[in-house]
Amino acid sequence: MSLASPRTISIPVPGATLLEVEHLTVTFPTSAGPVDVVKDASFRVESGDTLGIVGESGSGKSMTSLAIMGLLPRGGTATGSIRLNGHELLGRSDREMRRVRGDKVAMVFQDPLSSLNPYYTVGLQIEEAYRAHNGGSRKNARNVTIEALERVRIADAARRVDHYPHQFSGGMRQRIMIAMALCLEPDLLIADEPTTALDVTVQAQILELLADLQRETGTGMIFITHDLAVVSQVAQDVLVMKDGAHVESGTAEQIFSNPRAPYTRALLEALPRIVDPFDELKGLSR
Amino acid sequence: MTLVILRRVLAAAGVLLLISLFTFMIFFWLSPDPAVQICGKTCTPERIDQIREQLGVNLPFWQQYWQFLSGIFTGRTYGEGAAAIECAAPCLGFSFQTNESVTDMIVARMPVSVTLAIGAAVLWLLAGIGGGLLSAVKQGTGWDKAVMISALAGISLPNYFVALLLQYLLVVQLRWLPFPQSVTFAEDPLLWFQSYLMPWLVLAFGYAAMYSRIVRTNVIDTLGQNFMRTAKAKGLDAPVVLRRHALRPSLTPVVTLFGMDFAGLLGGALITETVFGLNGVGKLTADSIAKNDQPVIMGVTLLAAALVVVANMVVDVAYTYLDPRVRVKSA
Repeated sequence: MSLASPRTISIPVPGATLLEVEHLTVTFPTSAGPVDVVKDASFRVESGDTLGIVGESGSGKSMTSLAIMGLLPRGGTATGSIRLNGHELLGRSDREMRRVRGDKVAMVFQDPLSSLNPYYTVGLQIEEAYRAHNGGSRKNARNVTIEALERVRIADAARRVDHYPHQFSGGMRQRIMIAMALCLEPDLLIADEPTTALDVTVQAQILELLADLQRETGTGMIFITHDLAVVSQVAQDVLVMKDGAHVESGTAEQIFSNPRAPYTRALLEALPRIVDPFDELKGLSR
Repeated sequence: MTLVILRRVLAAAGVLLLISLFTFMIFFWLSPDPAVQICGKTCTPERIDQIREQLGVNLPFWQQYWQFLSGIFTGRTYGEGAAAIECAAPCLGFSFQTNESVTDMIVARMPVSVTLAIGAAVLWLLAGIGGGLLSAVKQGTGWDKAVMISALAGISLPNYFVALLLQYLLVVQLRWLPFPQSVTFAEDPLLWFQSYLMPWLVLAFGYAAMYSRIVRTNVIDTLGQNFMRTAKAKGLDAPVVLRRHALRPSLTPVVTLFGMDFAGLLGGALITETVFGLNGVGKLTADSIAKNDQPVIMGVTLLAAALVVVANMVVDVAYTYLDPRVRVKSA
């Protein structure tokens, strides 16, 4: 499969290495000299699996995902290696990266309302993603869009496709974002705190939806969150980050049952548990 | 939708009524006696009373206001008998200095102001939006600085100064343009265009400066929005991202501004018209103020207010089409 031909349909092989990130360092210039917001991060995502990246605000988890997309904010530079299906992504031109974005690697963001353009119908916003990579008629794109909305379980999709983002609830908007990401059948889906802006019941629905869709499509996923409880539900592998640096990684089971790094233990202890109501809720000491 | 428009129209009518009342009050209490003005040097108290009666200024305030208001809808007659003066509806008053109805005076000068406003608007929208967009996309570069420095000049240099400078450069020094003359388009299209070019440029400069700064701010603001990141993450081409996703949110607020500014100009560009000797509503205003011709001043004041109120209404209705969030709330 060549990245140069975006029409190629890739069939993910379970267990094959989809994404391999090695020694990724993201640097931003500041008035006080360059600052590394991601320091020497290495991880891999297998086809069909989910990697959870956990860390507090400023740990560099979002910058890692933006580096994969080639969408670092102005001034940011990434060094190291990011290979998707064996092809190096770093150092590609914006033009080449445009074919990767959406088609090979899709992203779902934290705040679904502000992530959708308020001036256009959700249908148009999904259609344009599909047509940017597959061309074809608007009619065809519209059918794909309605299908995608149905897949994320939006009732009455044929009518809702012409509605504007503000006419949907928070959870519905995130479903729309997921539909937008999945209509192109990407190899890798990066979900950056997709449930943080949602309440707990809606969060559970979205997590379930993501898991179902992943089972159906075999898409590899990077799930970025600050919430260890969420990670335990979705991820097979976990990477813990702090201040841009790799703290600990391993299978979810390892991390949860036998954390080695003191920071991971602190994170786990900070999880609220309804065991002893009088137990002190532990905070993170920086 | 119809209900929304109807509500807006009623509100606008109410606002106009209040404006007419306030304007009338100001001229009723704060201005000198028009009868004394008209009477001139060879004046007797009897003559003044006579004129007062003819003008109707001897009546109490409410009665005069009512006469003025009903005159707009049904026309009115000043004085009685053979000396009576007819003022047909819509009668905004009668100037005893020029012996013309205010409505006729305004109507005669409207075409110049409209021509001036439309030409300038085209120029300033092109320059303002283009410049703002350029400096936002090329933020921090030489382009950005060039546009912003020009904008600073446009905002800070007074209209009359730019007008005189331009006249000196283009007409006197370089001789690129003939001295502006008042010709109609039908008489001499080229001279007509050449005569309007400088006023258009002068007027557009100030507005373009303001618009380019506003557009720049809006575009930069929009470019930082999360949905722009989404658009890029979809793999859209950069020009599509800009055109489809950044332009509309950035330019919709400009519609409000444009409606107000354009309506304001239809009510006369006082300084520009005076400097270039264009016989528009603005020059009429300036002349009437100089001569203290109150009925005319009041007429143009009311016209300017009415234009802004109507523009406001049009913008509000247009907004319900331009911004889907407004549309659904009001429906």
